[in-house]
Amino acid sequence: MSGIFDPPSPAILSQRLQSRVHARLVHLDDDAVAALLADAIYQERRRMAANRGRWTEQDRAEAALIDEVAPATGQGRSAQEAAIHTLVDRYTQEIHNRFSDRTYRFATKVLPGALTRLLTAAEPRELFGADFDPTSRIQIGGPVALINKLARTHTLLLTPTHVSNLDSPLLGYALFAGGLPPFLYGAGLNLFDNPVMAAFMSRLGAYTVDRRKKHEIYKETLKDYSIEALTRRCHSLFFPGGTRARNGMVEKRVKKGLLGTGLAAWQEGLAAGRPDSEILVVPCTLSIALVLEAETLIEDALAEEGKSRYIITDDEFSEPRTIATFARRVLNLDASVHVRFGRPLDVLGNPVDDEGQTLDPSGAVVDRRRYITNAAGQVVSDAQRDQAYTARLAEKLVGAWHRDNTVLDTHVAAFAAWGLLKRRFPRLDMWKLCLLQPRETALPRGELLSAMERVRQGVLDRVAAGTLHHALGPGDAEALCDRAIGTFASFHRRQALSHGLPGTLHVDPRLALYYGNRLTGYGLESVLAPGGSP
Amino acid sequence: MNVGIIGNGAWGRALAMLVAEAGNLPRIGYRGRPPGGFPGTPNLGALAREVELLILAVPPANVREVVRQAKPGPAHKVVVAARGIEPDGGAFLTEVITQESAALRVGVLAGPTLASEVTARRPGALVAASTYDEVSALCQAALHSPICRVYTSRDLRGVEVASAMVNVLAVAVGIADALSLGVGGQAVMLTRGLAEASRLGAALGADPRTFLGLAGVGDLVACAHHPDHPGRQAGLRMARQGATDEGVHRDCLALNQLAARKGVDLPITEALQHIASGKLKAHLALDNLMRREARPE
Repeated sequence: MSGIFDPPSPAILSQRLQSRVHARLVHLDDDAVAALLADAIYQERRRMAANRGRWTEQDRAEAALIDEVAPATGQGRSAQEAAIHTLVDRYTQEIHNRFSDRTYRFATKVLPGALTRLLTAAEPRELFGADFDPTSRIQIGGPVALINKLARTHTLLLTPTHVSNLDSPLLGYALFAGGLPPFLYGAGLNLFDNPVMAAFMSRLGAYTVDRRKKHEIYKETLKDYSIEALTRRCHSLFFPGGTRARNGMVEKRVKKGLLGTGLAAWQEGLAAGRPDSEILVVPCTLSIALVLEAETLIEDALAEEGKSRYIITDDEFSEPRTIATFARRVLNLDASVHVRFGRPLDVLGNPVDDEGQTLDPSGAVVDRRRYITNAAGQVVSDAQRDQAYTARLAEKLVGAWHRDNTVLDTHVAAFAAWGLLKRRFPRLDMWKLCLLQPRETALPRGELLSAMERVRQGVLDRVAAGTLHHALGPGDAEALCDRAIGTFASFHRRQALSHGLPGTLHVDPRLALYYGNRLTGYGLESVLAPGGSP
Repeated sequence: MNVGIIGNGAWGRALAMLVAEAGNLPRIGYRGRPPGGFPGTPNLGALAREVELLILAVPPANVREVVRQAKPGPAHKVVVAARGIEPDGGAFLTEVITQESAALRVGVLAGPTLASEVTARRPGALVAASTYDEVSALCQAALHSPICRVYTSRDLRGVEVASAMVNVLAVAVGIADALSLGVGGQAVMLTRGLAEASRLGAALGADPRTFLGLAGVGDLVACAHHPDHPGRQAGLRMARQGATDEGVHRDCLALNQLAARKGVDLPITEALQHIASGKLKAHLALDNLMRREARPE
């Protein structure tokens, strides 16, 4: 049923994407076509120059490709269009990874074991003796049965938050454990540099997204690929945030390019009269007690240059052995990883019922086709309207992520610790707080426990109000604090919170900021104010 | 084009006149007495079904109710032609439409075009703002004529904030008039009021330039020079007679609460809220404003 089982040949796929780009080019005047090509060449050469001396085989091939098409900039329109088609053809090959049902079934059949093996491959002796059951460690929540049911009649676009590079295998497991069908992945090219991850990703139908390529020709090819997959009934998954959240927060902004492909594919299906053209968006929120790359991510968020350092290639993730150690330690923690699927939305961000029909605010079913059709029922193309619809979907998605966030002990402990530090040094901004010396960041244990208790209560109140989820352990703030310290100590060299001198707890401001940020946006800051209540 | 206008007040009828002037077919949705001179219906749902554009010309407090009655659907384009935000809860009026119906393509109409001047066929201008170009373009096509220029804008939030703020700043103009502040004092009230509006708009993602346009400076100048403007009249009453005004109080309170949520300071609007509730005399409120800490503009 799903096109993921019947992917087109690379040649046919390239042909399809070529026809899409051709359809766009005919609407552009000569200057616009020339500018499109020139911009791609400029951006690519700039990228390569910045990376000179560290070129991989692929970089050399891409440089050769740009040299090949560059002369067309000085020629006429037909040469420029041919050059654009050449680029689209190469990019299609790069993006496309032929998904194999056989390899998928193999991978999912042995997945619980495979997950362990892939993530702990650095120490083969442990592979066979591991008494490991991921189901006790990775908690899956949300309306999984409904999503499974809707997957039979609709094409699904799964849109998770992005915390760590381990999210992809984690989601692969969650899909398997939830009995959900295979999804086509949009995965960063850098993930494929890691041999362990590359093996895993290719088994889960990953296509590559090279975020270093910022020019329109590549971005449009990527979007066309996604539309093509969705119109072929391939359930698809990508991270709308685009990259891992640097500051640890649940993302507040999303990139709308790929997100809009759901709407585009739906319209295309309707216009072609295809009966199986309905597409739904499934929000998904990942919550992890420990994040492998936390130290690098928060450093990057704090560094001025971090704003432009979109792709990190030298973080903890570049070491397979580190991943293995981390995975083993995280998965040894109880309830350390939470994957919560949200209730599906239509491609405009409206809620849907159990049959996938769009609901209005009163709960009545409405015909969603009327959002894009005229009185005669014909689909009306309007790129600006679609941008506005996609912006709305993005807003609803962010709302769902925040609602479905699962608060863990480490988040509460770090949030309280960071909040107390801020109160202790009210004149210091975030950057200066992060530069405090260790002797300045020891907090009285009693005061911190009291703050944690208030935050804990605040979280429970919000959970009761339906605006948040939690998986806090049993007991009071003292128990929570001990568990959090134990969790932080299990991996990080520096720990967000650790035991200090008698009667004190030591705070690492950067990591406390990173983990505590998970609770930003819920109005919990007020509970830490003098006299604040949950 | 069939255009439905909900609201049978002077402004609703003025809009119907502009629609007719632009060569389109207006129909007014009303409660109570039928409108004179224009076709009308008390059945708002039926009106919504037969028109391409629905304009809501009712007070902010009534928008939710009329949307529930009209039930616009996914195909509808709905535009609000009222100054202000919802008094209870502080929702923007276009948000009220999407909260209460399946309509997503919404917009707002604002600017220095006053009902009495439309009736007198004096030239005016409006801005139609929406995040959907098709909505603002449709609104322009519905209303643009030789007696009313209609401009389009994508800054929906900016136009909504400007329009809501002008509504209360008109009261400040009346107070300044009553206190005989003179031309300089009035100008201070207008420019600092506009600065407040711009700050609030920026916090809500609006384009600061919008506040220099028809919905901001344009509308404010019109209100300041219109002796019968209801806001200005309310300001005169409050300052001269010490009268309270529940409507002005609710409008200011809603804006101040919205500003507080965004961490924005609105000293003039806050002062107006206290004057309208009777907590503070106008001259004392002015004194408080003048004694605020000195700061860069």
